Amino acid sequence: MATKRKVAKKRSKPARRRSASPKVAARHAVSVATSPRYSVRERTAAAAETPLAVCESDKDMQAMLAVLRNTDEPVKVRLAALQSLQAASFSVLAFEACRGDYIATLRKVADDPDPELRQRVLGLLAREKDGYAQRKLLEGLHDPAKALLPPEKALQLLSYDVHADAYAAARAIVKKPPNEMARREALRLLAADATAAPMFEKLMRDKNELREIRQISASALSALKPERLQKSAREILLDKSDYDDIKATSLTALTQLGDEQALAKDKALLTSVNRFRSGKTSAKYKQTARRFLDKYDRQE
Amino acid sequence: MPDATVAGAVSEPQFAALVDAIAADPARRGQLAGLLREDHAIYAERGTAAIARMRGWILLAMARGGVSDAALVFVLEELDSGTDPYLVAAAARALRSGRLPHASLTPFVMSALANIRYRDEAVSFERYGEYAVSATGTSPVRELLATLAWLGPQARGLLAEVEALRAPVGGLPRKFRIDVERALAAIRDGDRGADAAGDCCGMRPAGSIGMHARAAEATPPSRAIEAMVLEDQDGTKTTFKAFFCGQPSIVVFFYTRCDNPMKCSLTIAKLARVQAMLEARGLADCIRTAAFTYDPAFDLPDRLRIYGQDRGVRTDAGHRLFRAAEGNDALREHFGLGVGFVGSLVNRHRIELYVLDAVGRVAVSFERLRWDEQEVVAHASAMLDGSPA
Repeated sequence: MATKRKVAKKRSKPARRRSASPKVAARHAVSVATSPRYSVRERTAAAAETPLAVCESDKDMQAMLAVLRNTDEPVKVRLAALQSLQAASFSVLAFEACRGDYIATLRKVADDPDPELRQRVLGLLAREKDGYAQRKLLEGLHDPAKALLPPEKALQLLSYDVHADAYAAARAIVKKPPNEMARREALRLLAADATAAPMFEKLMRDKNELREIRQISASALSALKPERLQKSAREILLDKSDYDDIKATSLTALTQLGDEQALAKDKALLTSVNRFRSGKTSAKYKQTARRFLDKYDRQE
Repeated sequence: MPDATVAGAVSEPQFAALVDAIAADPARRGQLAGLLREDHAIYAERGTAAIARMRGWILLAMARGGVSDAALVFVLEELDSGTDPYLVAAAARALRSGRLPHASLTPFVMSALANIRYRDEAVSFERYGEYAVSATGTSPVRELLATLAWLGPQARGLLAEVEALRAPVGGLPRKFRIDVERALAAIRDGDRGADAAGDCCGMRPAGSIGMHARAAEATPPSRAIEAMVLEDQDGTKTTFKAFFCGQPSIVVFFYTRCDNPMKCSLTIAKLARVQAMLEARGLADCIRTAAFTYDPAFDLPDRLRIYGQDRGVRTDAGHRLFRAAEGNDALREHFGLGVGFVGSLVNRHRIELYVLDAVGRVAVSFERLRWDEQEVVAHASAMLDGSPA
């Protein structure tokens, strides 16, 4: 009974503190978030109120980091602590004193048994272009037994840094994909690799390829070799048998990047686009065709 | 030239063992500086994080054996424009292994503190490739403060700036208070070391280490470079010979995907200031300027134009941003560029600016350290009347 009364007394504190100054309230929220005496719900709610308060006291900061590190703590509370610390890190000046501990702790929990926590921590480190996280992610792509995340997620995180040396791993996955999502992410990552343009051109023109892959390829080609995209886009638009969504992507590319003089004189292409606009395609695609014709078809 | 004693295809652990072996042998220790060249084969086809691990290990090996005069510029380069915590911390430690503290080193340490303080994190120097998973060890800020203490009275010229590091607002976090106080005590210790203003050991002022006059050794442009086709920010093509022969010129290198704000972005912004100075002195039609991308496969004309525009660069017939439409190797060879690649992407590069004479030969180069716009304009102006700046 005595213990129950103590807990009840403690739980009533957040309500009584509502009238306290913001600083005192925030400090109190940190103490709730980091104390196992409160329920998971109370602790996660308190963690959401703490962000900048955690930087104001080294003790609070260490307590919050300890929650994040502690595998015996409920995962929901650890995730809430992570979110609070992440929010605090946006305030670069206030976070200056905490950053070293924060990054070191993220690395410490990068291989945590909980997959959600692991993924979020690796995501935060990857955004920092952290060499430790990049090495772990690359190791997992080379050796699935060491993988901390599924390959598609690892590729997505590696793509945050163009200098991460992930192109070779991505090319290997395109060649022999463990699943379709991994293949897609590998292609998205390779969209920044100038040497991958020929591969994207081939994929974009392949009518047997998945449409999403062809769209990713078109987008990549427009960044890497816009003149090749225009050539391929023209061929796709002249091909009566190709898919409407791919034609619409090609039209958008030509509308944005096309050589105005050459396209205005391209009668075969203009006829084909006019046919596409007046055909059975969706209103959305007709509008795309109309934009193209408004720009290039001087006869209109 | 890059040291040829190390093959490119070695694993990182093999590399670390090799560096340790070289560092342990006084007769070979001089080779460490050669290993820091960005175009060394050992860095080819590696990511930026791997290169940071490798270069950091070399700097730490230097810290154990002492930084030679030839290697000092690599250490100062990290302090001047480095943004990687591991490399900056290793460079700060390496600097302390130099022969003697010198006043001209202080601005580099202070500059590094300003660059890295909001990126400070724990680093581990115990084993190759180790990342800190607790904050109990050292960090770049701690290493830099220790280096300030090592500089002692030689840092007296910047005493006010060091004192500002303990200010409640704008100063370093309280956890560094002991390190700051230790540095201040060492700087104020007048009985130790040499006169702060003096140059006791005849050492060249550190700020000028990156500048080299090459007129006597410069070779004329090769046929390959003269014929090299360049494409500018508007997609207009010309050749190296057509643009660079007939007038002196100022050439910088950059690439749009560089993520170090102290390097490419700053270089192009400073080029805009150089152009404004030339204009103000009535030299904009006599001295050309060019910015070459290291990454011609990705930096297409539109990207060059927008990157230059955003940083205030003037573009016209005599002032252009270029990509090598073909013959990028000839460009690298002509300038001896300090750049490495993974695929077609840059993995590491130095800061580099060249003043060319009227036949396209390199007359003066500014390498690794941030250059001064006025000094560059003075050297280029001197090309017009044939006298050294």
